[in-house]
Amino acid sequence: MRTELTQGVYLNVVPTTQFKTTRVAIHFIAPADATTYAARTLLTSVLETSSAAYPTQSLLSAALEQLFGASFGIGVAKDGQMHRVTATLNLVSDQLAQAPLLASGFALLKEVLMHPLLADGEFDAQVFGREQQNLAAYLGSLDEDRQLQASMATQRLYFEGQPAQMTPSFGTITQLEAVTPASLMQTYQQMLAHDQIEIVVLGQVTEADVLPLASALGFAPRAVAPMKLTVDRPVGKFRTKTQTAHVNQAKLNLAYHVDADLYGRKYFANVVAADLFGGSPLSLLFTNVREKASLAYYASAAFDPFRNMMVVQSGIDGQNAKRVQALIAAQLQAVQTGAFADDLLDRIKEGLRNSRQAAYDSPRFLARQELLHALAVNHQPGFAAYAAAIDAVTKAEVQAAAQTWRLQAVYLLKEQEEG
Amino acid sequence: MALEKFEYPEVGETLLKATLPNGLRVQLVPKPAYHQTYAMFAVDYGGIDVRYQPAGSSEMVQDPEGIAHFLEHKLFEKEDHDAFALFGQTGASANAFTGATNTAYLFSSANAVAENLTTLLDFVQAPYFSDETVAKEQGIIGQEIQMYQDDPGWLLYYGILGNLYPDHPIAQDVTGSLASIAAITPEKLYRAYRTFYQPSNMTLTLVGHFDPDQIMALITANQAAKTFAPATPIVRGVAFDGSLAEILPYRAADLPVIRPKSAVGLKGQVDIPDDEAGTRYKLTILLLLEMLFGDSSPLYQDWYDRGWVDDSFDFEFTAGRTYNYALFSGDTDEPSRLSDAVAAVIANGADQPSLTQARFDRIKQASLGKYYMSLNSLEQTANQLSAQSFYQVNDFDVAKIMRTISLADLKAAAATFFDVDALSVFHIRPEVEP
Repeated sequence: MRTELTQGVYLNVVPTTQFKTTRVAIHFIAPADATTYAARTLLTSVLETSSAAYPTQSLLSAALEQLFGASFGIGVAKDGQMHRVTATLNLVSDQLAQAPLLASGFALLKEVLMHPLLADGEFDAQVFGREQQNLAAYLGSLDEDRQLQASMATQRLYFEGQPAQMTPSFGTITQLEAVTPASLMQTYQQMLAHDQIEIVVLGQVTEADVLPLASALGFAPRAVAPMKLTVDRPVGKFRTKTQTAHVNQAKLNLAYHVDADLYGRKYFANVVAADLFGGSPLSLLFTNVREKASLAYYASAAFDPFRNMMVVQSGIDGQNAKRVQALIAAQLQAVQTGAFADDLLDRIKEGLRNSRQAAYDSPRFLARQELLHALAVNHQPGFAAYAAAIDAVTKAEVQAAAQTWRLQAVYLLKEQEEG
Repeated sequence: MALEKFEYPEVGETLLKATLPNGLRVQLVPKPAYHQTYAMFAVDYGGIDVRYQPAGSSEMVQDPEGIAHFLEHKLFEKEDHDAFALFGQTGASANAFTGATNTAYLFSSANAVAENLTTLLDFVQAPYFSDETVAKEQGIIGQEIQMYQDDPGWLLYYGILGNLYPDHPIAQDVTGSLASIAAITPEKLYRAYRTFYQPSNMTLTLVGHFDPDQIMALITANQAAKTFAPATPIVRGVAFDGSLAEILPYRAADLPVIRPKSAVGLKGQVDIPDDEAGTRYKLTILLLLEMLFGDSSPLYQDWYDRGWVDDSFDFEFTAGRTYNYALFSGDTDEPSRLSDAVAAVIANGADQPSLTQARFDRIKQASLGKYYMSLNSLEQTANQLSAQSFYQVNDFDVAKIMRTISLADLKAAAATFFDVDALSVFHIRPEVEP
């Protein structure tokens, strides 16, 4: 249930008695613009560590302890062309705590988001400097996770020339170093005054309970221009890149362009095709590349419906890169030509239905569905609509979907050769 | 088979328990509001169990490190099929994992629970190991081992454990090494299987949306239809290690990392029993560490402001059969300052200014709240109940036990557990290019 609190500010309440918690998420949504990512990320760190009411982390942590160990965090994320700053608070339900935690939780969110720690109209210089430094150190150390390193490099390669998509949602060190206390204040004010705001509350609550609390956050009305969620980089030049590092296991990633329509028939055909290709333990990549040929520790495919792309990730012995790539191509061809058993397709569809139903046991999943329903025009809530759409996908549609996949980028991270 | 019912009104949960004639212990937690079911079939056998008397023998043998994990991988593969595929037929997810002291096989599914449960019981209880399948698995696990070698967090963890436990297998990677897994044979797998995979050394835990009576009837009939060798006592060759003499006080490694990493380990010198007193002691240590090193502690704030820690700083207390230790670790540009600062806190023993009654009350309430929140997740509940199924207490007892802990208990625990002679430090430094 979505209610407009004021122009551009929406409340989405999901009443359920299934869980022992109440989940509150406040999303600030803006069009994806790479020049803002680093500043918006730094802003989350600064707001999270200091506010006028809780000037230090210790004081904020103590306040959360008082709320029965509530967990709280602010982060950034990106879906397609929408960039989000999200503050999430998880509370024990008022019923279980026998205390008005939800009201206290909203009061805490208001302090943290609306009343940052300021001196002369600027963020506290010490906090700013420390958080900028910590975030730079964190961004600098991301390549220690080789899978993430390969994944970010693949994205850069695929979206070369499109900063909003080639840049990770948290920005780059170079962008971060350019942020000043004054520019961060502009970022904050811009976000607070102009971003579309979606508040999602899930738990043993009613809209009547939440409405006054959410209104009391005090967000001003704003004119929000309609935003596009999906992005489609047209098929173009094929790109390839190889990098070396001190790694024991090499990483081979392949990125494909996918022709799809968000939550339409082609979308569901692609969901099934991608799962058959490399999304499940029954998939062709898992059974033939990892299990039968023993050529990879992991080999999987993931479809990004917001960006019309699919990425295959694998962890291999660098010497086998050519063989693995050929074997992946052979699995792709099998999906395209229908060279797979009919009952495998049925099992893949059953697996998708089953894991979807299982997801309804997760407050995080349910809250995300509510957000997607608010943002995406064709999104159908509920399990039944999803199950019916998956059921309706035919073998011919799976093949047709896979026939649109175009290999656009191949990235290899391999061992540094000695000498 | 009659189910014994245990009610936990404080958390709104019900636990049903039974022990089958073959010794298999069953625990069921019905959660009708949920959609899926988690089932875990667990063995009291893990990475550290490399020395034991094989069933029917009185001679101690030494197995290659990594054999429990290898066995876990191999159990899915049968002569003519793969058990993964059987779960997949119904759309269920299947998985397995090997810890230091136990191994668990699980599936989760929103439908066909009975069919999947039969698959779970049958594949774990019908081993098939051959030279060919063992050789192939050596390739797959070899890749897994190499992948972990690229993970600095993993290297830091095993680095500090290696300092604390030079002579105990807890310091060995659960996956083994390329050399140790090369020594695994079908004969050794069968020997370990016969010794540890006896029904009386196993537990079955289900949490989720199912009818407990139907499920219990299925389990009873499934087990009654199978023949098992008579139960034999399990004699393990790995003893409790609380010794300070062997601790390596300091080591460092130069690795291709970008940020230095610092870890401090504190070795427990007293074995912790698997009963209520033991659980109470573990919860006491966790509260103690949270008060001293947690996000709301004055120390953490001070170190954060000085730039010695960032939010990668973490601490844990781990207690298992034959070992227990606390670890403190983080990415830091000041690895020595951080490890010195942690050591200085330990050196203070029970004399800690931040152990005040007001903070204690608040942190205890917060810990209870976090515990309630953890019960949202079927997976976590199943994991906890399964991991504790070889203990005398379970996850639903936690709130009741935690309420009995006082600030004086924390001080007493600090006085015994905090010992500078039980400390060790491991640093990872960025490699300098030659």
